[in-house]
Amino acid sequence: MNIIICLKQILDPEIPVRDFRIGPDKREAVRGNANLVTNIFCENALETALQLRERTGGKITALAFGAESAEDTLRKALAMKADEAVLVLNDGHPHPDPFTVAQVLAAAVRKIGACDLVMTGRESGDWGSGQTGGLIAEELGLPCISFVDHIEARGEGTDASLFVKRQTDNGWELLNAQPPLVVTITNNEFNVPRIPKTRDIMISARQPITKWTLEEIGVNAAEVRAGQSYYEVVDLAIPAKDVACQFVSGDTLEQKVENLAQRVIEVTRSL
Amino acid sequence: MNDVAICLFAESGYDRAAQGVIGAGRRLAGTLGGRLHAITIGTHNPELNVRIAAVADSVISADQVELAEYQPELCLDALAQLCGELAPKAVLLSNDTYSQELAPRLAHKLGGSAVGDGIELIAQDGAIRVKRSVYGGKAVATIELKRSPAVIWLRARAFEADSAGSASVATVRQTRLNLPSGDRTRIIERKAESTGEARLEDARVIISGGRGLGGPEAFKDLQELAGLVGAQVAASRAACDSGWYPPSWQVGQTGKKVAPGLYLAVAIRGASQHMAGISDAKVIAAINIDPDAPIFKHCQFGIVEDYKKVIPLLREKLAALQK
Amino acid sequence: MNPTTTTNQAIIGSDFSGISYPTREVLWNIDNVWLMYVMFAVSSVIAGYGIYRRVSLWRRGLPENRFDRPRYRLLMLLKHALGQRRTVREKSAAFFHTFIYTGFIILTVATTVVFLHHDFGLPLMEGDFYLYFQSFIVDVFGALVLVGVGIAAVRRLVLRPKKLVYTDESLLILAMIFLIVLTGFLIEGWRIAVTFDPWGRWSPFGYLVASASLSLMGESIKSLEAMATAHRITWWLHAIIVFGFIAWAPYTKMIHVITGPLNIYTARLEPSGAILKKIDFENPEAPLGVKTLTNFTWKDLVDFDACTECGRCTSVCPANAVGKELSPRDIILDLRNLMHAEGLRIADRGQFWLPIADLKRKNSAINPQSASRIGRNPQSVVGAFPSTSPEALWSCTTCGACMEACPVFIEQMPKIIDMRRYLVMEESDFPDTIQEAVTSLESRGHPFRGTQSTRLDWADGLDVKTLAGARDAEVLFWVGCGGALVERNQKVVRATAQLLEKAGVKFAILGREEKCTGDPARRVGNEFLFERLAKENIDKLNGYDVKKIVTLCPHCFNTIRNEYPQFGGHYEVYHHSEFLVMLVNEGKLKLPADKLENSGLNVTYHDPCYLGRHNGVYDAPRQLVQISSRSFVEMKQNRENGFCCGGGGGMSFVDEPKDKRVNQERARQALVTGADVVAVGCPFCLTMMEDGINARKGERDVRVMDVAELLWQSLI
Repeated sequence: MNIIICLKQILDPEIPVRDFRIGPDKREAVRGNANLVTNIFCENALETALQLRERTGGKITALAFGAESAEDTLRKALAMKADEAVLVLNDGHPHPDPFTVAQVLAAAVRKIGACDLVMTGRESGDWGSGQTGGLIAEELGLPCISFVDHIEARGEGTDASLFVKRQTDNGWELLNAQPPLVVTITNNEFNVPRIPKTRDIMISARQPITKWTLEEIGVNAAEVRAGQSYYEVVDLAIPAKDVACQFVSGDTLEQKVENLAQRVIEVTRSL
Repeated sequence: MNDVAICLFAESGYDRAAQGVIGAGRRLAGTLGGRLHAITIGTHNPELNVRIAAVADSVISADQVELAEYQPELCLDALAQLCGELAPKAVLLSNDTYSQELAPRLAHKLGGSAVGDGIELIAQDGAIRVKRSVYGGKAVATIELKRSPAVIWLRARAFEADSAGSASVATVRQTRLNLPSGDRTRIIERKAESTGEARLEDARVIISGGRGLGGPEAFKDLQELAGLVGAQVAASRAACDSGWYPPSWQVGQTGKKVAPGLYLAVAIRGASQHMAGISDAKVIAAINIDPDAPIFKHCQFGIVEDYKKVIPLLREKLAALQK
Repeated sequence: MNPTTTTNQAIIGSDFSGISYPTREVLWNIDNVWLMYVMFAVSSVIAGYGIYRRVSLWRRGLPENRFDRPRYRLLMLLKHALGQRRTVREKSAAFFHTFIYTGFIILTVATTVVFLHHDFGLPLMEGDFYLYFQSFIVDVFGALVLVGVGIAAVRRLVLRPKKLVYTDESLLILAMIFLIVLTGFLIEGWRIAVTFDPWGRWSPFGYLVASASLSLMGESIKSLEAMATAHRITWWLHAIIVFGFIAWAPYTKMIHVITGPLNIYTARLEPSGAILKKIDFENPEAPLGVKTLTNFTWKDLVDFDACTECGRCTSVCPANAVGKELSPRDIILDLRNLMHAEGLRIADRGQFWLPIADLKRKNSAINPQSASRIGRNPQSVVGAFPSTSPEALWSCTTCGACMEACPVFIEQMPKIIDMRRYLVMEESDFPDTIQEAVTSLESRGHPFRGTQSTRLDWADGLDVKTLAGARDAEVLFWVGCGGALVERNQKVVRATAQLLEKAGVKFAILGREEKCTGDPARRVGNEFLFERLAKENIDKLNGYDVKKIVTLCPHCFNTIRNEYPQFGGHYEVYHHSEFLVMLVNEGKLKLPADKLENSGLNVTYHDPCYLGRHNGVYDAPRQLVQISSRSFVEMKQNRENGFCCGGGGGMSFVDEPKDKRVNQERARQALVTGADVVAVGCPFCLTMMEDGINARKGERDVRVMDVAELLWQSLI
């Protein structure tokens, strides 16, 4: 089973709200002192892939589209024991729209070649569009299953068949699929990403990473660099949050609780 | 060309999400000056279709054996065919698993653009913009869709249902589509887990109890309260450690990390250990006897009172308000 | 001398006539003395082999220099080996061990005197020296050995304290010591009786034997002859037991007679907070932590052989005290036994005599058949025993109480860290919650997953400068993650900053540029991450040319002071309690005279391990408490005997089982004092103690406060 796993490097989603800032163009967040990390669902996906490989063998190629810094994400994937790593360098728009990303990743997947399974995270912790997997599938003309948390493979070669479990709103579904296909991975208790062994981190620092430019993968480089043919962020704002707790008012306990109940109902109805 | 299509799964029925999508569709169609078409996928659901017919200008029920149960590739094909025929300016879906799965692919098939988790739709100068929450709720982005149709899945419960209705009741048209025998993926088993065991991570509302409750009995009161607002009950580490509530329902750094729409903390002081588990909660509210409890620093609203006095009253009031 | 040819009086006796000075005949009544020399030679060879075997095993360890600063080491030897400073800390041991130990030293000296007198012709067994020392003192100390053995036997057979290891070997050792001294007294007594030794009374216990024998058996020649025969037989019996003991001792825990002093001489000389070793990550072959015995250094292996099985380490271990698996004693003993078993196996394969050079070869020489005993991995010491199971290793708070308690300076804690290093770095096998802390350290530079606090929240409304904006600052205030990111501790940071401000100290902070010192990473065994964080911080500190640092947290204090020098970071480091005391003493912080009268607080103080035991700072925080409160009460376990809060060694990130919480035990100890305030000097202690106190205090109003808060409160 040859697996290509798409990984995204994002701004640390756990930075405190007070440290979160938006740039003057009001279109993207300022990095500041925060770190860049691998998107957690991508790591869940990698973990799922690693476990699948442990059972069925095969090869895992980690693929990223991003700036030079995304090398860290790929090195971590190698330390977690992905077999190979490919970085498509993004020298254009820092946050291209999901179609652009999918186009690039699909082109890279084609260039890598023989592949039974393309995996992505269900969404990213920064922009969280939740579209990349589906759009890659369309670009490649493959079927797609979303919110997958477990994959089993049976059979070999042309007889290969995948059993894919995915989460739904109120439970789960088991799907049977013929590779090649695209899956997007969500988290469950079994695909918590492993912590790489220090020994493997040391080894991964010396492993080669294949780097391709946009021109090398045969996409419309100018359009990709512009990165917003699909959609465009026209504004980014920090929602005004009333940080101060509003203590419910009322002269009597009963009134206060009445007001409390009102607020509770208000919030639950808005969900 | 200014029409709006909404796509709903018949299986889900006329729930709050469906109402939100219908309402949003009606209003958007109004703004755009187009018609509202509704597509329902799956076995004909009379209640749903009747309700939609009262609001939409046309209703298409894609009820055929291949679509009786959701299959990703078939449903996608069906939606692409129907939307292709209608050639709308916008396609709206809910934010259930299936809609989220199909929307981007549908946009691609229709040559349009998709965006998800919309909390506000803005139609302005012929362009459609969507507001959505990004960076884990730390920011709100306004996104302009560049291609047509605009395929948008909505945080449906955040949208008002339609109040006006349409002048005439639309007829429900049954279609028969030519669907390929797509068997590259096939759902072979589905399982709905009972709501009693729903995952805490998915809960929309969580009512959580802490050390201040003083014993396991109070959790029964919380459960009763939870029943009234469709909430899950959780507990702090201190409470779980004391054996008052099962550890699998512990919220915090060492327990579950949850992201409910409302987190009501009862007699929880709000140690950072606990707060680490609820940083993604949209609204935090607290009942605590101590006005200096750290939890209030994270709350949108709260009450400084003994929970023993508050809970019975709150139950009464909520029951009354829910009616 | 042939007894049959002499007079009646001296038929079988020494002839004292004509000798005017006190002495006795050496080897009286003994024929074929050469046999003794043969026995001596044989036992020396056997003993020598035993020692050689141990040394060979030690040499299989990795190199480490423990022979620098010889003068200081000799002092250690005088104080702790000869002086028994630590041994006598425990009362029952103080008596029995001192009796046996000093007794044996005196007896050995006495034997040497006999040897020199007899074989080298030095006339030592004469005159006052013979009477006072060789007869009287030696006799008394011999008797003390018997008393000592008696106490030890009572302890071992009747009192049976939990911390001891109950082996037949121990009983046999006691029995042999007892027999050696008893037979010694018997032969001395019978010699006195038969020779009518005029100076016999100078050997009171021998004389007692003599008098008893004479009164029981009479003074007839027949009985004298019987005594002489008994003397001769007993003398040889004595010789057999003594030489047998000498031959056997190196194979038993009695080797501590040699390894104890050796271990003390080669003990670490730095504060225990500086004990962890660097790993050479540049070398791809370097083992990451300890997997096999040969990953230990030779000093670690000597440690195993130095163990006297006294059990003090385990008896002071906080994790053990609350019922966890951890037992430092068992770690040492299990690994000792494994070392000897492996050593023997290597010997069986004819490889024992090989020079010890090739690590890989050694590893492969370990028989994989031991797999069943050693567990899933035949070569791994980790998990080989309950004592080295991950569960046990993950309950160590690195408080260092075990090392402080050990009379022979065994270093238990670093071995635990070494095994954690293996688990973390080679196996990636560690508790989930620690994993989260480590992940957070990696990506965010602090261990608190999910905190919504920023490094500057505490300074809201204060005019605190960052180093970037105040290059002329004289002192860097190192806030630390525990201070800045945990809400309760932000108050402590605030109080400290306000105190510094009030005293007119020109200080600055690093603010957002500050990262974890790496302490939690190092203690949980992630040396790789620690080194990365340490180097980043040192680069930053050196970049700002920082000279003087005040830390809020003892962990930061220890790491910057004791561990950063390993990586080229040399600074003058103070814990905030030390620095604040200096400010008070210099008159820069003045206390209002009437304030103390108003403060009715009764305060106790909990020693943070990384301030106290690991760095010897006990007085400064106590002074602050005494300055700012009226009454101060010590907990029973204080200063070097302090009991950990449970939060060190990364353990504040572990969810402890609720019935086995170290902090609750310490809280109990604190509550017993009746104090209103439990003062601490560490943000982690504060969190742990507050948790423990809240769980245990019941209706009482007991608060946990940092010493800086107490001081600030008494100033405003």
